Amino acid sequence: MRTIVKSLALPILIGSPTIVAADVDTSDWLCESCPFETGYRAEYEAGASYASDDAGRFGNGTGYDEKGTYGNFDGSGHYSTDDYQLDWMIEDLGLSTRFAEISGGQQGSYGFYLAYREIPYRLFDTTQTIFTGNLGLPAGWVGAGSTSGMTALDASLRTRAIESDRRILDAGGHWLSGKRWSVFADFRRQRKEGIDIIAGSGFSQASQLPRVHDYETDQIDLGIRFRLPKGSATLAYYGSFFSNKNDALSWQSPFSTFTNPERNVMAEAPDNEFQQLTLSGNYRFESWRSVLTASLSTGTGEQDEVLLPYTSFASVPSEPLPRATLDGSVDTTNFALTWTARPMDGLRVKAAYRYDDRDNTTPQSEWTRVIVDFVNSGEAEQNIPYSFERSKLNLSAEYRLFRDWRVSAGYDYKTLDRDFQEVAEQTEDTGWGQVRWRPDGWADLRLRGGTSRRDIDRYDTSVTASAGQNPLLRKYNLAYRYREFVEFVASASLPNAPLSVGATFYRSDDNYSRSQLGMTDARERRLTTDVTWAISETASAYLVYGDEQIEAAQLGSAGFSDADWSAAHDDNFDHVGIGFALRNIGEKLDLRFDYTRGNGDSAIGVTTDTNGFRPLPDLESELDSLRIEVEYRSSEHLEVTATLRYEQFSADDWALQDVEPATIPTLLSLGAEPYDYDLWVFGVGFRYRFGDRDIALVD
Amino acid sequence: MMTAIASRRHRLHFVIGWLLLLASPSLSLAQADGDDGPDYSRKGADSCFACHDDQATLAVFRTPHAVPTDSRTPFGHDQLQCEACHGPGGEHGARVRRGQERPGVIAFGEGATGSVAEQNAYCIDCHGTDTGLGWHGSAHDDDTITCAGCHTSHAASDPILQTSTQANVCYDCHQQQRTQSLKPFAHVVDEGKMDCGSCHNVHDTTFDAMLVRQTLNQTCHECHAETRGPHLWEHAPVAEDCSNCHDPHGSNHPGMLTMRGPMLCQSCHSQAGHPSLPQDADGLPSGMASQYLLGQNCMNCHGQVHGSNHPSGSKLMR
Repeated sequence: MRTIVKSLALPILIGSPTIVAADVDTSDWLCESCPFETGYRAEYEAGASYASDDAGRFGNGTGYDEKGTYGNFDGSGHYSTDDYQLDWMIEDLGLSTRFAEISGGQQGSYGFYLAYREIPYRLFDTTQTIFTGNLGLPAGWVGAGSTSGMTALDASLRTRAIESDRRILDAGGHWLSGKRWSVFADFRRQRKEGIDIIAGSGFSQASQLPRVHDYETDQIDLGIRFRLPKGSATLAYYGSFFSNKNDALSWQSPFSTFTNPERNVMAEAPDNEFQQLTLSGNYRFESWRSVLTASLSTGTGEQDEVLLPYTSFASVPSEPLPRATLDGSVDTTNFALTWTARPMDGLRVKAAYRYDDRDNTTPQSEWTRVIVDFVNSGEAEQNIPYSFERSKLNLSAEYRLFRDWRVSAGYDYKTLDRDFQEVAEQTEDTGWGQVRWRPDGWADLRLRGGTSRRDIDRYDTSVTASAGQNPLLRKYNLAYRYREFVEFVASASLPNAPLSVGATFYRSDDNYSRSQLGMTDARERRLTTDVTWAISETASAYLVYGDEQIEAAQLGSAGFSDADWSAAHDDNFDHVGIGFALRNIGEKLDLRFDYTRGNGDSAIGVTTDTNGFRPLPDLESELDSLRIEVEYRSSEHLEVTATLRYEQFSADDWALQDVEPATIPTLLSLGAEPYDYDLWVFGVGFRYRFGDRDIALVD
Repeated sequence: MMTAIASRRHRLHFVIGWLLLLASPSLSLAQADGDDGPDYSRKGADSCFACHDDQATLAVFRTPHAVPTDSRTPFGHDQLQCEACHGPGGEHGARVRRGQERPGVIAFGEGATGSVAEQNAYCIDCHGTDTGLGWHGSAHDDDTITCAGCHTSHAASDPILQTSTQANVCYDCHQQQRTQSLKPFAHVVDEGKMDCGSCHNVHDTTFDAMLVRQTLNQTCHECHAETRGPHLWEHAPVAEDCSNCHDPHGSNHPGMLTMRGPMLCQSCHSQAGHPSLPQDADGLPSGMASQYLLGQNCMNCHGQVHGSNHPSGSKLMR
């Protein structure tokens, strides 16, 4: 049988339409026992949950951000006739993570969908501000040169959570015309409303402002696809239109230095749009069983928001703007070509080329900055429209050395050409090799390693000289870099044992040996493992573990000369997860248990010529998350569900720890506290099923 | 979120794929009669269900694979039913002598009986030019992943097509991403409100890093279009590659930054008049409480790090 299957699979692989259904005598294939689905089936669950505490961060993705009782409603259903299908789904209707979707159509002819989702983002619920809703100062405010002199501060502080909600509406459909043509259309509207943090800066003082934002982005995807027996082509349009309800943000400075009765003003994210046309396709050739895939995109991004004046202060002299709007425009071109082939038995080769171009055609002008609304700099600066061209060539081959052994090797060559930056031409060569052992069905082991060298034509320090950049500094994304990496991946399902094991190891070492200032070294190490035990047909358990370490070293210069300080970063995170699932206990009960623990630890050691080694306290985080779910089937149609969740999260973060609004003399902060919460969420619900749970063959 | 569209798009394409793929009568793999052809069963699915009548198998009738009015599906008119995917089952269903091993058919997923190429051939033959437009040459193809390694084609609800369950399927292989998703600052993938498909098109090699859009930045701008610009004053690394500063899979640092500020900024900025001062423990609240270190460090003043559209915003403060 295996031989037969292989003999069939090969022609299929090369895309040759071999033997068609019409060649098979199916006159007796009546499918009389087939339980084709028509009619209605659905299940709905209604219940309530209780969260034991306020925990904004926990509300991210869960919806349980405040202490209290929540109503829950979930459901899904399906209705079909011989010709038409309709599906719907509801999740978390009573929470701020609610989701609803309906889709349907006539399979093989057309389809449609309509969906709505909300995603809460809760950054801080411990923040306090003096600012009024429109970022004005409160009545009775006493300004001062530093926060310590703001005598009305404590009385003026009000809680203002930093949070937002994203609401997403999706709609779309597709239509098939015969066997060759299809068209699709997708629309998405995303609205993000809420409050984030933005800096309201002055000369040497600043305030953290709770900014109200209201963004809306519409996206449209339209396409037509043509299909041949051995290939297809798609022509697609993508449009993205961003709209910000606020053009400018104004605020009153709480500092008395440089006081002005008028408001400071900054620009908000400008309305912009991006439109793109893509032609893509693939074709399968019989020779060498090769496949060619290609895509070509051309796009344009535009931004033409009316510009604000140099300063909001009428008393400050300023030049007329060179333009009323930016007339900003970026043209993009993206091209990709991939060819894979099997020129002989056991050999697979691949060549891929990719080209990305961002051509910023925004006109340049000279602008005379007014420094923080107060002082006309008197110096003209040109805006810099950054452009780049990036290309990648990948060549690789894999050869089956023995029955279960494969060796492969590859070479990647990247180029990156930039305008207006220190490095105009950058190249990167990567060579790698891999050995893989994959005995039939039960194990897969891979060892891969290689090196890459990123080189540059020259580092032109004159580009940033006018900005006062230290000529010894090498930006890490532009600098020369040599990298070595090795990766080991293993997975196995032990023969005759219900145990699956997976493990990965990765290590890379980066050396920026030609950088006297900036990043000089980086190292990344990852280790993961995953064990699954299928105890029986109704019971399973798992264990997962992961550990990641990222180290980096950098050199800095406070004296605008050689390095006089260094920083060593040691970023660690590890986690362990265990769980089990028991199904059909007494044919009535399902039980699921999941526990995750995660620990983050980031150490930054700073050494200076003057003070020696002065490490910052470790940045630490600790997560414990427990989830227990129980489902009890009280009848064919009714289930009782119970869910218990516990989560504890705490963090030590020196950037926030003990930083009250007035702690920093020159910064009026929002006083956010490091995350620290633990709470329980307990929920019960009743799920009712319409229609049969089981599928029975037709008698 | 951003989830929704991408995953919906994938789902849609998956369905379209099935519809289109099966539209081709060349789908089927064999011939029943003729001396040289493989031996199909006598009664098609009715023969199979004589033995394979468990719920897991029959659940295929709650999937798009079993819509009889769609002539392209395995259970469409004149199609080969179970044997469209599992191959000819004549020998498998025939009587065997005592002690003789029953010949197998193609099985997928756990307990698969065919090679990766054999298994995928059955899927790609129908889906190859639609869902798998760029499958060939993709990282998943390079790694010889089976379609059934990710997809559960008999389930009424394929876990990898559901936003709430997709990531756990991906994590089976992408264990590092599971680790990163648990870091203190990450997208809400682990909570099941985004999925991997929000950013990645796992079937396609035509876009960079198997992303849903041509480049990383274009992908990020799907949800973060406020950073797209073009701005009057651009920040060069932002315009080039979001991952210069952010790790989208998760980080120990706020904003999913790759390194804690101000050191991240100091990796590229060391200006005269605004010197790159070492920020050590002296800058903590117990010391002199430095605004260059605490709070949002550099962003305490330079809040417009993604670009500014203010005529006086060249220092990204307005």
